[in-house]
Amino acid sequence: MNTTSSKRISDQMNRQMSLTPRWTETLIMAFQSVAKVKGGLIGAIFISVMLLSAICAQWISPYDPNAQNIIQRFTGPGTAHLLGTDYLGRDILSRIIYGCRIAVLVAFGAVSLSSIIGVFLGVMAGYNEGKKFDYFIIWLFDIVRSFPQIILALAIVAVMGPSLVNVVVALAFTAFPFYGRIARAQTLSVKEADYVKAAEAMGQKPLTIILRHITPNIMAPVIVCLGMDMATMIIWESGLSFLGLGVRPPTASWGIMLRNGYKYIQVSPWMILWPAVAIALSMIAFSLFSEGLRVALDPKERER
Amino acid sequence: MLKYIIKRVLWVIPTLLGVLIILFSLTYLMPGDPASAMLGPRATPELVEELNNRLHLNENMPTRLGYYLLGVVKGDLGTSVWSGHSVSSLISSSLPHTALLAVSSLGVAAVIGVFLGAFSAIRQNSPISRFVTIVSLLGVAVPDFVAALLLVLLFCVKFPILPSIGAGTDGGILGIATHLILPATALGIGWVGYLSRLTRESMVDVLDSDYIRTAKAFALPQRSIAYVYALKNAIIPTITVIGLGVGKLLGGAVFVEIIFNRPGLGKMIVDAVYARDFPVVQGGILVATILFVLANLLADISYGFVNPQIQYD
Repeated sequence: MNTTSSKRISDQMNRQMSLTPRWTETLIMAFQSVAKVKGGLIGAIFISVMLLSAICAQWISPYDPNAQNIIQRFTGPGTAHLLGTDYLGRDILSRIIYGCRIAVLVAFGAVSLSSIIGVFLGVMAGYNEGKKFDYFIIWLFDIVRSFPQIILALAIVAVMGPSLVNVVVALAFTAFPFYGRIARAQTLSVKEADYVKAAEAMGQKPLTIILRHITPNIMAPVIVCLGMDMATMIIWESGLSFLGLGVRPPTASWGIMLRNGYKYIQVSPWMILWPAVAIALSMIAFSLFSEGLRVALDPKERER
Repeated sequence: MLKYIIKRVLWVIPTLLGVLIILFSLTYLMPGDPASAMLGPRATPELVEELNNRLHLNENMPTRLGYYLLGVVKGDLGTSVWSGHSVSSLISSSLPHTALLAVSSLGVAAVIGVFLGAFSAIRQNSPISRFVTIVSLLGVAVPDFVAALLLVLLFCVKFPILPSIGAGTDGGILGIATHLILPATALGIGWVGYLSRLTRESMVDVLDSDYIRTAKAFALPQRSIAYVYALKNAIIPTITVIGLGVGKLLGGAVFVEIIFNRPGLGKMIVDAVYARDFPVVQGGILVATILFVLANLLADISYGFVNPQIQYD
C-alpha cells in the first residue's frame, strides 16, 4: 500500500518535472473521463473490437475472404457460414472482418494526414496573424471548404485513379481545412499566453515556439474532431468503393460488398444487410465515443 | 452589420476564383496525356489531336487557365467529350431533378425535425422524446446511401409497393411524387435525426433561460411560451447547420441518384467520371460548389438577422 502510493507520488513528480507535452496527459485524462460518460465506454469497447478485428483479421476470420465456393453461393446465415455467402460463394463474415481492416486503414490514414497538414498550416497562419501568409492560408482553407466534400474527393480519385492510397489522399485533402480552422482559432488565443511571450523573449525561433509551445496546447479540440471525423471517413471510404471509385475489388471493403449486394438485390438480401449492419455499428460506436469525448472535455457539460 | 454583409459577399469572388483554379488543375493530376485518357485506348491520333485543339491542351498552362476562366465567365462550361452536348445544357436538364430532391427532403426533414425536437424538449421522457433519441441514433448510424439501399431492399424487393428507378417524369405529378418518396426519405432521415436532436438540445437550454421564466411569471399560455418565445431562439443553431447541410445534401444526392437512377446532377457527375468525360465532371462540380457557396452565404447572413446579439467587427 505504502509502496504504491509513494510510487504514485514519484510518478506524479516525474510527470511534472519531465517535459512531457501537456496534450498526452490531456489525452489520457480524456480517455479516463470518456469511460465515465454513459455511452462513451460502450463506444470505446466497440471501437476496440473494431481495431482488434482490423489488426487480427487473418487470425479471427473463419475463411479466406477471397476463397470462392461457387456451389455454395447466396446461402443465408447458417452454421458453415455464420453470415452466409455472397455471389461467388465467399464467406460474408470473413469479408466483413477484412473490410473492417480497410475501413480502419483508410479512416486512420486520412484523418492523420489531414489533421497533421491542417494543424500545421492552421498554427502557422494563426501565429502570423494579419500577414499575407495568414490571408493566403485562410483563402486556401475557404476554397477547399467551398466544395461539397465527397464530390471533391470523388473528383480527385476519378482523376488520379482508384486505389487505397489515392482514396486516403483525396479524403485527407477534403478534410484538412476543418482542422486548420480549429488550429488557427486556438492559436490566436494561445499565442497571447505568457509562456509564449516568455519563449519569444528568450529569443527562441518561431518554428520552435510553434512546435514546442503552441501546438501541444491546442490539441484538445482537434482530438475531439478526430473521433468524429473517423466515422465520416469510414462512410466515405465505403461510399467511394460503392461507386467503384475506392479500393479495387476483389479487396474486401464494406462499400464493395454493398455494391455487389446492390447488383444481386433481387437474389439475396444478406449481401446488403450485413455490410449495412457493420457500417451502422461502427457509426454508432464512433458517435457514442466522440460524444463521450466532447462531454469529457467540456467543463460546462461535465457539471450536468 | 452592413459592412459585414458586404465583406462576406465580396469574399465569395476570390473563393470562387480559387475553386476554378483547383478544378482546372485537376486535369494535371491525370496520369499521362489527358486527351487520350478521356478518349480511351481506341482513340486515333487524329481524334486526340482534335480534342487537344478543342480543349486547348497544347497551349502552356497560363494560356489554358485563361481560356478556362474566360469560358466560365462567359457562361460556357465546354462541351461533353462523349455526347457533344454543351455542358450547360446537360446541367440545366439534370439540375431540376436534384433541386427537387434536395429541397423536398431537407424541407420535410427540417419541419419534422424541428417539431419533434421542440416537442421532445417540452415533454421530456415522453414517448416522442424516446422516439427522437432512436431516430437521431438511426440517422447517425445509417448514412444516406446505406439507407437508400435498405429502402430499395424493403419497399421495392421485399414489398414491391414503390418505384425504385428513374424520376417518374412520364407519370405526371403523381409519378414524380411516388418516385420522390424513397430517395427523399433516404436523404432526409439523417437530417430528421440530426435536426431534432439539435433543436431539442438548444430548446432545453432556452427553456432554462431567464426570459422564459419571466414569461411564465407573467402567466402567458404554456403553448405560446414554448412555440413562440422559446422556439424562435432555439431554432438559431439549425439555420447555420442547414447552410452547411447543402454541401452534405449534394454529396448524398450523388449516391441516392445513382441508386435510384434519377437523372440528376450527382448521377451526371458520376456517369461522366465513369466515361472520363472531364468537361462534364468539371462543370457539374462547379455548379454544385456554387450552390454550396451561395447556401453558406445565405446562412451566414441570415444568422446575423435572426440573432441580433451577434457582434461583427
